[in-house]
Amino acid sequence: MTVVQQSKNAPTSGSGSGNLYDVLELILDRGLVIDAFVRVSLVGIEILKIDVRVVVASVDTYLRFAEACNRLDLESGSKAPSQLTELVGEATENGARRKSKGALAGAVEAIGDSLHQGREPEQEEHEEAHTGRKTSATGGRRTARRREED
Amino acid sequence: MTTYVYAITGAEHPLRLSGIAGVGNPAAELRTIRTKDLCAVVSDAPEELRAKRRDVAAHQDVQERLLADGPSLPMRFGLIGPDDEQVASALEEAHDTYAQRLEELDGCREYHLKVACDEDDLMLEIARESDEIRRLNDHTRENPGAYDDKVALGELISREVYTRQERARTDIVARLARSAVRTVTGEPTKHHFLNVSFLVERENAIAFSHAVHEEEERRGRTYGFRLYGPLPPYSFV
Repeated sequence: MTVVQQSKNAPTSGSGSGNLYDVLELILDRGLVIDAFVRVSLVGIEILKIDVRVVVASVDTYLRFAEACNRLDLESGSKAPSQLTELVGEATENGARRKSKGALAGAVEAIGDSLHQGREPEQEEHEEAHTGRKTSATGGRRTARRREED
Repeated sequence: MTTYVYAITGAEHPLRLSGIAGVGNPAAELRTIRTKDLCAVVSDAPEELRAKRRDVAAHQDVQERLLADGPSLPMRFGLIGPDDEQVASALEEAHDTYAQRLEELDGCREYHLKVACDEDDLMLEIARESDEIRRLNDHTRENPGAYDDKVALGELISREVYTRQERARTDIVARLARSAVRTVTGEPTKHHFLNVSFLVERENAIAFSHAVHEEEERRGRTYGFRLYGPLPPYSFV
């Protein structure tokens, strides 16, 4: 597990921003609002949310899953041809495997551009915190539901 | 000049704001608007403010600073009131609500958990447990043109993936909610099938993070956990 501690006391501006991207949805989409007040326009910023149920139930997704499954080596339980696994070895064990894109992720990608695209570690200060094209009606921020539990 | 609102605190909050600045370029100077029991931390709102990285970081830094000294209600980024007087009257109008929330959140912070699922690992798991999936898989591998069988295979897998993720989502949240005061589940994103925030009391923070760690161990390598916190309680105000 990766535990990312946010700075508790920010002595200088920007000190807590290293992981800002990862909690951006909280800062932009939650937090207290006062009804009569206006909010800065977030045009061009889209927190990507998906309705998995819609994505999962499409022929496109089915075909991707089928093809992804065809590529798997079910007997040995490994995901790549064994030769490749040996060659690449442990170097990719921690890094790449978490990034590997499955069929579902691929299908979702087709639906919406992710905010990740604007994300570079050395992103300039003046750049938008995030840029992302407005995408189809699959998961706009307005339609995002939130369940409160407990 | 419109007024950008960062946070609401109780009147007793020390409000150490020196050394940090607000949104905008040049950064706006932070100031406070006080009513009898409450206080709003504000600045002039820059013209044409947008959600630039620097501005979001400034907004976040104000929250961190305030929370170090006591309870504080973080505003959503980009909230702008017409002027200081109207911020003051908004505080007075909703005084009881804000005072109560400040009390509830005292000593609590938000922890945000994102869980990713490795689709390939999950698919292997699914295929291992289903004769029908293995049969269709063999068949479509040998007959790449068997469209209907491919769709059938994909549908079976898709349904299983969804069911298993849904079950994992519910299980993980239920197990961790025991160490938390409140829980807010967000919508899944492209990379994470679970995005959930927990409100955790300071004295339970270590127990909570242990619980998250245990949960990840229990889940095995198919699932990747990332825990962020302590954060301002954005999801619980």
